[in-house]
Amino acid sequence: MRFYKHLLLWSSLGTLLVLGWAAVAENFLAEWRRVQRAARSRLPPAEAEGFGVELRQVVLPELAVADRCVSCHLGMAPGERGLPGDKALAPHPPVVHDPAAFGCTTCHGGQGRATTAADAHGQVEHWPEPMLPRRYFYAACGTCHTHLAVPSAALLARGRDAFERHDCLSCHRLDGRGGTLRPGGQGGLEGPDLSRAGARGWRADWHAHHLRERDEAPAGPWRSAFAGVPEEERAALDVYLASRVGAPGLTEAKALFHSLGCRGCHAVGGVGGADGPDLTRVGQRDPGQRAWGGVRGERTLASWFQEHFRAPARVTPGSLMPELGLSEPQIDQLTLYLLSLRRSSLSNSFHPRDRVRAEKLGEREFATDGATLYGTFCAACHGQGGEGMRYPGMAPFPAIGNPDFLAIASDDFIAETVRSGRPGRRMPAWGEAEGGLRPAEIATLVRYLRSLGPAYQPDPRPARWARGDAARGERLYASACAGCHGARGQGGEGPMLANPVLLRSASDRYLAETIRAGRRGTAMLGFERPTPARRALAPSEIEDVVTFLRSFEPKDREKRP
Amino acid sequence: MTAPAPALRRFGDNLRAAPRRLRDSLFRSGRPVSDRTRASFVFGNVFLHLHPARVHRWSLRPTFTLGLGVMTLSTFLVALVTGILLMVYYKPSTALAYDSIKDLHFVVPTGRFIRNIHRWAANLMVVGVLLHMARAFYTGAYRAPRELNWVVGMLLLAITLGLSFTGYLLPWDQLAYWAVTIGANIAQSPREVTDALGITAWLDAGGLQKELLLGSDTVGEEALIRFYLLHVMVLPLALCTLLAVHFWRVRKDGGLVRPADAEARLGPAPQGTWPVFTEAPQKTYSLAALVKGKTAAVGRGPEGTVPAMPHLLLAESAALMLSVLLCVLLSVLADAPLKELANPAVPENPAKAPWYFLGLQELVAHSAFMGGIGIPTVVLVGLGLIPFLDRESEGTGLWFGGPGGGRLVALSAVYGLLAVVGIEAFAIHYGWIREWWPKAPQLLITLVNPGTVLTAAYAAWSVWLVRRHDSTRAGALGLFTCFAVGFLVLTVIGVHFRGPNWDFYWWPSQWPGH
Repeated sequence: MRFYKHLLLWSSLGTLLVLGWAAVAENFLAEWRRVQRAARSRLPPAEAEGFGVELRQVVLPELAVADRCVSCHLGMAPGERGLPGDKALAPHPPVVHDPAAFGCTTCHGGQGRATTAADAHGQVEHWPEPMLPRRYFYAACGTCHTHLAVPSAALLARGRDAFERHDCLSCHRLDGRGGTLRPGGQGGLEGPDLSRAGARGWRADWHAHHLRERDEAPAGPWRSAFAGVPEEERAALDVYLASRVGAPGLTEAKALFHSLGCRGCHAVGGVGGADGPDLTRVGQRDPGQRAWGGVRGERTLASWFQEHFRAPARVTPGSLMPELGLSEPQIDQLTLYLLSLRRSSLSNSFHPRDRVRAEKLGEREFATDGATLYGTFCAACHGQGGEGMRYPGMAPFPAIGNPDFLAIASDDFIAETVRSGRPGRRMPAWGEAEGGLRPAEIATLVRYLRSLGPAYQPDPRPARWARGDAARGERLYASACAGCHGARGQGGEGPMLANPVLLRSASDRYLAETIRAGRRGTAMLGFERPTPARRALAPSEIEDVVTFLRSFEPKDREKRP
Repeated sequence: MTAPAPALRRFGDNLRAAPRRLRDSLFRSGRPVSDRTRASFVFGNVFLHLHPARVHRWSLRPTFTLGLGVMTLSTFLVALVTGILLMVYYKPSTALAYDSIKDLHFVVPTGRFIRNIHRWAANLMVVGVLLHMARAFYTGAYRAPRELNWVVGMLLLAITLGLSFTGYLLPWDQLAYWAVTIGANIAQSPREVTDALGITAWLDAGGLQKELLLGSDTVGEEALIRFYLLHVMVLPLALCTLLAVHFWRVRKDGGLVRPADAEARLGPAPQGTWPVFTEAPQKTYSLAALVKGKTAAVGRGPEGTVPAMPHLLLAESAALMLSVLLCVLLSVLADAPLKELANPAVPENPAKAPWYFLGLQELVAHSAFMGGIGIPTVVLVGLGLIPFLDRESEGTGLWFGGPGGGRLVALSAVYGLLAVVGIEAFAIHYGWIREWWPKAPQLLITLVNPGTVLTAAYAAWSVWLVRRHDSTRAGALGLFTCFAVGFLVLTVIGVHFRGPNWDFYWWPSQWPGH
């Protein structure tokens, strides 16, 4: 009896104590309550009176958003004036999208429903979408926007250089710079702010307009600051202006992605190679699901990407991605771009125009001029200038800008190679059904490739004229070619010759000329001259070899792909 | 001034008397000061009337019951109250469930605390019901005339596990999704046998069982609403009904089990025990006190018994408050888990069932049918049959009572431990038939796997005990102990030592990818 009395007494007291503690912790010690009490004490007395310590939130059912961030970031709550400069009361910087209409997490990520800093910022276990780091903030735009027709980094740089060179910044403001020279009004800005020219549009006759204004002005800034822009620089400026959509840094990052040939292996939005993982939503991946074995530093998606760019195989064992030798600023830019690949599934009414045009109307996210297309799809393997590439542990990639190649490769041959690839080798098929390139784009690519080297010399002969002795060709092949191209033409150090697409599209002249003259700057030396290791081949012998090569073709026409 | 009308005076008198009359109607037989009024206090109260008027001192010793039954009931009550509070905010839909738990966690006042209490109460209830069962077994409480109540207790165990398992899915996070997927696959395990026999196309018992549980072939909206219905209505109602039967049977079977010579073992009531007996034995027995059995109090006088009010009520209140304290204390110390939103495309690796099924999952890893259906069925049938096979009386009402006693239980525990650790270590280190002989027929592995070998080893030990002591009780004591130890060890292996792909790891920190 005594035992039970004591047990009852002490467990009841203990329960009361715990419940009391829970009530106190809930009602007085909650983090956001402390923040709000402290903020209220800093407000002017008149405002403090109406300032209640209460849960504040942005609720947008159509976006599935219930963001309680504003319970601590009080100045950003809808309808709140805030106290500029205050830690908790600072208002949101002016942005295109009103936080009250889009919520906080739509752009920033993190856990909007949470009410403690660690949980809300999402750097806790079991929350797949932590906040975007401040330095990669423009990656947030990728949640909805796709940013159409981004040119390659070189084109963008050309436009930016022209913009600086012609001193546009003296009147115009762009991405937070410029517009300070002419204090025409109180703001010190005379020309329009061009930071979002790509989204808002600009007058097509801007150059003529500027000239007219200059000629009509008696004196002053118009006369002294504008001197006309040559035609091709105007085009570069237009390209640059089109890329100014209010997301500086992101456009540059995307341009870099489309200059390094990343899409040669990785698809984004259904366009690109299949050798690497699809990157369409890579910025949304759960850091908790990554392998962290080879990653130094903090466990964020950003540092995972950075480490992966530095040494892919260390982070992902068995990765085929070569070490690209990127500089740290490049790694930073590419990380920003990958983080921007989010594409959340929002309701259609929230899709911006650029996303609708990209996803529904098939417009390209990259510019479709030859240089950008080459940078986007080809540069990683064939080199920035078509000089070919050699990555450790891989067969060398052909130098398609080689003048010896361009002189004998017909447009049809190049187009067919791009379209159908090299089955069995690293070169994928880029036709619309496989890699996603349209016929017009392939034609643009061929034209661009053409511009890298000498003109094609047409051949009056038919495509197949070699009538040599295949048996002798076989013997010659075994002694002279098999070492690099493989005993059965399967390829090795040299390209695969028993390739159905190559044999289907290459003319006999292409094969014979390559054997005769070789490719300068590669291991393929011409056979018209002897080397210390072997003798030269006579034209008839070359014909024999070509005839033999044709025997690699699938015999049955039905079997041809 | 005229005198008030008689009706108004009566009204005034009645108004003044109202508090007294309310008290009288609450305590109809007057204040519980004598044995008689105490007894009627208990009988006259709907919540207390399942109690006896007097209770034996044997049943009140804390070391005998350890309060496990009352504590299990208490945790159920705690879970019931907190569960109703959670239902205010919870939304049983795959699109809303997770967010509603997040809201509970972050913005509902004390919501996180209440959810923690619910979670801890549920876990403590599972622990409590298992320990209560062990207590009833080791004190021989299943023996006649309490056979039926033992079986009812087994049903209550099953319902408790069902309640806990159905509640597991409701947060709709990764933990829930994949634990229930594993659970549903265990339900599907008869397919292993029907596949091996090649009759799945005609008789797919496993698939049917799984589909009945999930309402689909994967865990989804249908499964969630089913689990919700079971969790908040069907199973609690079934549990309450069976609880009433359970308690009523305790009364009808003559109170808690105690040895025939309980009075002699206890000796006289200690000095100062109050009240032992406050009235001459003039009482008339109400019908409820006429109970069957050798230990009926009728005609034997109230020796060794004390009034249930206040002795039993005090003991029960103490156990109740102790359980509540445990629940709230654990809830302050540790949050209920909530992982990422359920994602059918990203399997948890390892995906683990709730902890009380991890012993089964360990066996399932060796053979789905034997681990999921075969061995559990053998164990349940064995447990259900024990009261009808053990018709002995030696040691009834004593801890580890029976031939061999505590020494036999200790030996069995050591044997059970060695057997389960040995077989598991062997299987982990050397693999099993499939690793040595990849083309082995599935039926062979279903019949011979670590689970069945372990069961056979335990059965052999039990048979040896029966022969040695010439007693079914001895065999039962040994077998129960072995299975209890086996359950414990397999659960620990499943909880702690199994990592991705159900491989063995000494510490979770050694899991690959971390």
